[in-house]
Amino acid sequence: MIAMRRGAIGLLYAAPALAFVAFFVLYPMLDLIGMSLTNASLLGGSEFIGLKNYVKAAGDATFWHSLAFTTKYTLLITPILIGAGFLLALLAVEPSRIARLTRAVVFMPVVIGLGSSSLLWVWLFDEQVGLVNKLLLDLGLIGQPMVWFADATLGLWAVILSIVWKVVGYGMILLVSGIQSIGADIFEAAMLDGAGFWQRVARITLPLTVRTIALTTLVSAIGSMLAFDQFYIMTAGGPKSQTFTSVYWIYQNSFIYFKQGYGATLSILLMAIIFLASTAQLLLMRRGART
Amino acid sequence: MNYPTSMRRAILAATLSLASALASPSQAAENLTMWVRASGANAAQHLVDLWNATHPDKLGLTVIPDNQVVSKLAIGVQAADVPDVISFDLIYMPDFMRAGLLTDITDAMKGDPNFAKVAPAFTSLATYKDRLYGTGFTPDVSILIYNKDLFRKAGLDPDKAPTSLQQIHDDAKKIRALGPDIYGFYFSGSCPGCNIFTTSPMMVASGAKILPASGDEEPLAGAGVKDVLQLFRDMWTEGLIPKSAQPDNGANFVANFKTGKIGIQGAGGFLISDLKKDAPNLDFGVAFLPGVKDGQASAFVGGDVVAIPKGSKHADLALSFIKWELTDEAQLEGLAKNNILPSRTDLAANKYFQAEPRVVTTAKAIGIGYVPWVFHFNDMVNSDSSPWIEMIQTAVFDGKVDEAIATAKAKMKEIANE
Repeated sequence: MIAMRRGAIGLLYAAPALAFVAFFVLYPMLDLIGMSLTNASLLGGSEFIGLKNYVKAAGDATFWHSLAFTTKYTLLITPILIGAGFLLALLAVEPSRIARLTRAVVFMPVVIGLGSSSLLWVWLFDEQVGLVNKLLLDLGLIGQPMVWFADATLGLWAVILSIVWKVVGYGMILLVSGIQSIGADIFEAAMLDGAGFWQRVARITLPLTVRTIALTTLVSAIGSMLAFDQFYIMTAGGPKSQTFTSVYWIYQNSFIYFKQGYGATLSILLMAIIFLASTAQLLLMRRGART
Repeated sequence: MNYPTSMRRAILAATLSLASALASPSQAAENLTMWVRASGANAAQHLVDLWNATHPDKLGLTVIPDNQVVSKLAIGVQAADVPDVISFDLIYMPDFMRAGLLTDITDAMKGDPNFAKVAPAFTSLATYKDRLYGTGFTPDVSILIYNKDLFRKAGLDPDKAPTSLQQIHDDAKKIRALGPDIYGFYFSGSCPGCNIFTTSPMMVASGAKILPASGDEEPLAGAGVKDVLQLFRDMWTEGLIPKSAQPDNGANFVANFKTGKIGIQGAGGFLISDLKKDAPNLDFGVAFLPGVKDGQASAFVGGDVVAIPKGSKHADLALSFIKWELTDEAQLEGLAKNNILPSRTDLAANKYFQAEPRVVTTAKAIGIGYVPWVFHFNDMVNSDSSPWIEMIQTAVFDGKVDEAIATAKAKMKEIANE
């Protein structure tokens, strides 16, 4: 009886949060699932069509290509972001003025909007007036200006460079806080035992920040799988639709082709894929931590 | 009780005034709302300001970002919360009319003498199943633009614009020979909208039909399609077009011409005032976009139309505004005076344009121009993955002209059948 009353009181305390989740997460998700079973159009009108959208998605070559491209982008950029973020964190973890300044400078691009950042980099990569080509030409690394967005691979690396510049500071800050939470006495003991800097990093810093690294990796990977703004602005999905990401293709269908029902279907599929991948990633990391 | 005469007169006057006010409540001025897309806002503001200065009923303008107009109108109609008048990119007319988002104004406009003078392209686009749902508002039209300074340096007559595809090629070659950073021709190779605006008229001028109104019609029909694509391909392989054209998604649609290093390109009428402001020393000419043969010409009639959304609370007044904007006063004092093209073809050579013959040419282009009447325009043309832009890129940059046309035809037919 007492346990039941305690349970009810606990539920009462959690009620506002549950209501929030129900209203802003559960209801829209159920509405999305419902929309995916219709031919809803942005111009109005909606009829139930069952699983026809899902059948169409199964044969939608552009969707699967966009998913493969997004996965490739995620697999390329995530290790770069985590690796660079970790190295920058090691550099900037000290409580000194120069370290604090470094953290601030590296973090600054994080607060710029993604749209503004992408526009900035479009012009930096411009064939005629861009500074990137000028730098490469001056260094003798290229003989003539490169047209970065005329080639899908070059365009992809241009986007990756712009996003690493913008976002690496975020991972750095998370990892700095993870490293700073390690007790200083552990490092002192290791130094007394004669461990060098990289030995301390390998034997102390890395193992004790693995949870922070896992969280940063997960957040980075999910963000990359949902990439849209940077490709919309920098490559416009080109050349010839080769750099469409999954979300970009969902946007195209929902708001350019007016096919909201089909866009909802693609959203559900993408959500399911990301959910499965994230779950697998967490399970693997938990198993790795136990062993 | 006897009142003095003066008091009796005052009471009578007050009573008459009160009776008059009560008897005609509709005399009170109304406030109308109008939505306009961001890229048409400047032109629309001139018309709205003129209307408000000369009418008791006032129009309040709300500017909507271009890419939100469709969704806002669709949601507004469903929520019964729409403006009284709306202006938007004319290519959406067929989809909006079919979806029932607009009010039928056929009977109201029939017999209007000014409506009869509107460019045919607008009237045909705003008609669905023989009913009219809108008319031209703030037009723009595509033209050929060329650098007269480069023409002189290349030994070409600066007052003779190219009048055929072959002539474009020949002139571009001579201009290219002027220097390593001077190019004969330019187009935005990754911009679907830019190309439907400036490249498709060359195909249409050559006798081609571009887009199908239904699944029964053949898309990209006529030799003109291949002729134009082959011309562009030849100019690309000969290096007459800068490499930066390939990834240009429209960001540099006119920026390169302003540098004075491009000889010839397609552009819009808007560029005339842009160039006069941004490159005042650049001597340039305009002409119609030509076809294969000398004398063939066409243009893409773009810009905005005006219509009354379903559910407008002041439909009668909205109709008055639409009729008014086609009058001489609105077309000349609202548009032409501000260097904006009128939608009436009889006013192409108006007094405000006399000082600028290039604008007269642009205004005349509306009369010979076309605009495709097609559903799913975004799917077929405007989207970054459309068969239209993929055809251009495959033909011009990969050299597979026939394959590009065949693939695009099949995809367009599939879209038209949806």
